[in-house]
Amino acid sequence: METRKRAVDGKQKATSPAIHIKDLRKVYIVSRQEAGTRAALQGLVQRRRLEIPAVDGISFDLAPGEIVGFLGPNGAGKTTTLKMLSGLLHPTAGEVTVLGYIPWKRERAFLRQITLVMGQRNQLVWDIPALHSFELNRAIYRIPQEDYRRILDELTELLELGPLLNKPVRNLSLGERMKCEIAAALLHRPSVVFLDEPTIGLDVTMQRRIRAFISEYNRRFGATVLLTSHYMADVEALCRRVVVIHHGRLLFDGDLSRLVQKFTAHKTIIVQLGDSRADLRSYGEVVSYADGRFTLRVPKAKTARVTERLLADLPVIDLLVEDPPIEEVIERVFAQENP
Amino acid sequence: MKYLRLLAAFFRVSIMGELAYRANFFWQLFQSLLSLAISLVGLGIIFSYTDTLGGWRPDEILALVGVYFLVGGIIGLVIQPGMEQFIDSVRDGTLDFTLTKPEDAQLIVSIQRVEIWELINIGLGLGVLVFALIRLGENVGVLEAGMFILMLIAGALIIYSFFLILATLSFWFVRVENILVIFQSMYEAGRWPVSLYPGWLRYGLTFIIPVAFATTVPAEALTGRLTWEILLGAVAIAAVMLIVSRLFWRVGLRHYSGTSA
Amino acid sequence: MKALAELYAQQFKTTLAMMFQYRASLVIWMIGQVLEPLVYLIVWSVVSVSSGGSVGGYTTGDFAAYFIVLMLVNQFTYTWIMHEFEYRVREGNLSFALLKPVHPIHSDIADNVSSKLITLPIMILIAAGLALAFHASLSPTLWAVALFIPALLLAFIVRFLLEWTLALAAFWTTRVSAINQSYFLLMLFLSGQMAPLTLLPYPVQVVAGTLPFRWMIGFPVELLLGRLSLAEALQGLGIQAVWVLAGFVLLRIVWRAGVKVYSAVGA
Repeated sequence: METRKRAVDGKQKATSPAIHIKDLRKVYIVSRQEAGTRAALQGLVQRRRLEIPAVDGISFDLAPGEIVGFLGPNGAGKTTTLKMLSGLLHPTAGEVTVLGYIPWKRERAFLRQITLVMGQRNQLVWDIPALHSFELNRAIYRIPQEDYRRILDELTELLELGPLLNKPVRNLSLGERMKCEIAAALLHRPSVVFLDEPTIGLDVTMQRRIRAFISEYNRRFGATVLLTSHYMADVEALCRRVVVIHHGRLLFDGDLSRLVQKFTAHKTIIVQLGDSRADLRSYGEVVSYADGRFTLRVPKAKTARVTERLLADLPVIDLLVEDPPIEEVIERVFAQENP
Repeated sequence: MKYLRLLAAFFRVSIMGELAYRANFFWQLFQSLLSLAISLVGLGIIFSYTDTLGGWRPDEILALVGVYFLVGGIIGLVIQPGMEQFIDSVRDGTLDFTLTKPEDAQLIVSIQRVEIWELINIGLGLGVLVFALIRLGENVGVLEAGMFILMLIAGALIIYSFFLILATLSFWFVRVENILVIFQSMYEAGRWPVSLYPGWLRYGLTFIIPVAFATTVPAEALTGRLTWEILLGAVAIAAVMLIVSRLFWRVGLRHYSGTSA
Repeated sequence: MKALAELYAQQFKTTLAMMFQYRASLVIWMIGQVLEPLVYLIVWSVVSVSSGGSVGGYTTGDFAAYFIVLMLVNQFTYTWIMHEFEYRVREGNLSFALLKPVHPIHSDIADNVSSKLITLPIMILIAAGLALAFHASLSPTLWAVALFIPALLLAFIVRFLLEWTLALAAFWTTRVSAINQSYFLLMLFLSGQMAPLTLLPYPVQVVAGTLPFRWMIGFPVELLLGRLSLAEALQGLGIQAVWVLAGFVLLRIVWRAGVKVYSAVGA
C-alpha cells in the first residue's frame, strides 16, 4: 500500500527524490485488423489482440531542482512516461511517485504543484488575448493577486511577452504562442515542470530563446524539470544529465558529457562517385552503398584527413559531412549496450 | 466533358476514403432514417388534425418532404463540402495550392470535396418522392415532371451561387467560418410550403436566403401550382445569380492575389 | 467557495470576450433558435385556423403563446456541451482539463450561464415582439408564475447534468455527432418542441412521460400556460427533483468511468 510521503523537514527534503520511477510499465492493447475481405470477416468473429509495450520497465529518480533531458526517437515512450508522471495515464505496472504523490490519483494538492507543457498543443483559449487565459489559470490555481502580479512580471521579462499578451492567441506566430503557453503553465509556480517537446516546429532562434528561458527558470526558482525532445540540441543546451529511452527501455542514464562522447565519436561522410566500382573500405567503415553513393562512418578526429584523401584520390561528384542521425546513433548505443 | 471527368475523379477519391470506414455507412443510414422518420411522424400528427395545410394535401406535403431530403442531399453532397473546404483553405493558406493548378479555380473549389454519404439522403428523398407521386397519380404528367426537373436544376444553381457568394466573402473577412450555417438554419423552414409563412418571412426565404427555390418551387411544379411567372422568374434568377456570383468571385480572387504575399 | 466564485467570475469575462469575437456566428445561431419554434408556431396556427380556431384544446392564440414561451424556455435550458466535448477529445484538449486542480464541469457551467446573461435579454425582446405579432394569448395565474421559476431552474439543472453526462460518451466513441443528432431529434419530438405533448398520440405521451425530455423543456411551458392543475404542477416539480438526483448520480459514475478509460488508453 503506497503511503503519501510528505517532506516535513529540510533533511528529508534534500534526500527524497522529487520524481521516483521504478520498473514502470505501460502496455497498450490494440486489436489488429488486417486488410482484405477474408481477414475482415474473420475479424468479425475474433479480433487479434496485441500487447504493445510503450514503456517497458524503466527506473530513474530525479532530485529536487534537477533538470534532466529525456531523449529518444519518436515512439520511444517519452510522452507516455510524461503522461504517467502527470497523472493522465494509469501505469500497467511499477511504481511512480512525484513529490510523494501517486500521480494517477490526481489529488488536488498534487495537481497544483505540477505542470505539463505539450509542444504544438494549446491550452490557451484561441480567440482571445493570452492575458485572459492567464487570469483563468489564476482563478483555477487560486494564485493570490500579489503573487500573480509578481510572477507575471517575472515571466513577461524572461520570455519577452510584453506586446504579445493583448493580442488574440490565433494572431500569434507559432513561437510567440509557445512562449505564452509556457508562461500560462508556470503562473502557479509549480515545483515540477514537465515539458513534452516544447521546441518542436519552432525556428532555430525561438528554440534557443526557449531553451535559455528554461535554463534561467530552473536556476532562479529551483523547479525540477523533465524535458523530452528528439532534438539533441535541446538536451545539450539544458541538461547535465540525460536519460535515453528507446522502444520503451532505458538505454542510458548519466552525464551528458559521457553521452556526447559516446554519440558523436563518429561522423558520417556521404560521397557520390563517378566511378561506382571503387572500394572505399580503406577510408572508413562503409555503412551503405547504392549506385555510386557511399555512406562512410569515420572517427570524428579523422574526418578532415579522410575527406582530403577522398577528394584527392577519387572522382568525387558530391561529398557531404554530417553528424549521424539521432535514431541511428541510438540504435548503435542499443547495440553497444547489448553486445 | 472534362469537367465531368474531374468531378468523377473527386468522387472516386471520396468514395475510396470513406469506404475505409464501413461502419460509417450504417451510422449515416441510421441518422438519415431517424431524421426522415421524425419528419414523417410529425406530418402524420399534423394531418391527424386537419385535411389540408394551407391548401396542400397530405400527399403533396409528402412530396415536399421528398424534395426537402433530395435537395438537402444534393447540397450536402457537392455544394456545401467544397465551399466549406474553400473557406478553410483561405484561412490556412492551402488555397494557394489550388490557385497554382491549371484548372479554373472556381471549378476546382466547387467540386473539390464530395460527402459521399449524402447519397443516402438523396436516395431516401427520391424514395419518398416516388411514393408521393404514385399516390398523387393522375395529377402528375410529363409536363409537371419536366417543369419539376427544370425547377430542381434552377434551384440547385441558385443555391450554389448563393453559397459561392457567401464563401467569396472569406476573401475579405477571414473569420466567416460559420457563415454557411445560416443556410442550414433557414433550410429547416423549407420543410413546409413557403406560402404558409407571413409576408416578411416569405420574402426573406425567397430573396434573401433562397430556401424557397430549393424546396417549395420544385414541389409546386409537381403539384400543379407552378405559374409561368414563377417558372420564368426562377430560371432568370438562376442565370443572373450564376453570373453575379462568378463576377464577385473574380473580384475576390483579384483582391486575394493582389494583397497576399 | 470564494475561490470557486473567482473562477466563475473569470470564466464570465472569458465567455464575454469570446462572444464578442464570435458575434456574427452568435447572431446567426440566435436566428436559428428563433426560427425553429416560429416555424412550428406558424404551421400549427394554420392548422388551427383551418379547423375553426382551435385544435386539441389549443386556440390559435394558445399555440402562439406555447411556442413563444417554449422558445424562451429552450433558450434558458440550452447547452452545447456535447459538441464541445467532441471537439475537445478530437483536439486532445481534454488532457489539459484533467491536469487542472478543479473539476472541468465548473468552467462549463460558468460558460453556459455567462453566455445566457447576454442572449436571454435579447431573446425576451424578440419574444415580446413575436407575441404581439402573433396575438399570443397568455394569462397565467399567480401560483403558475410562482411555480414556473423553480420549474425552469430544475429544468436547466436536469438538462445540463444529463447532457454533460451524455457528452462524456466522447471518452468511449468517436461517433459522438451521431449520438448528438439522434438525441436532438428525439428531443424535438418528445419534449414538446414539435407539438404540445397532449396533441401526440397517447402511447407516445406515455413514453414521453418516462423520459427526461419533457422535464427539460415541455413541463415549465405547460405550467406557465396554465395547462396543469396545481396538483399536477407540484407532482411535476417532484419528478424534476428525482431527475436531478438521477442526473447527479449518473454524472459521477460516468465521469469516474470515463477518466478511467481515458487514463488507460490515453489520447
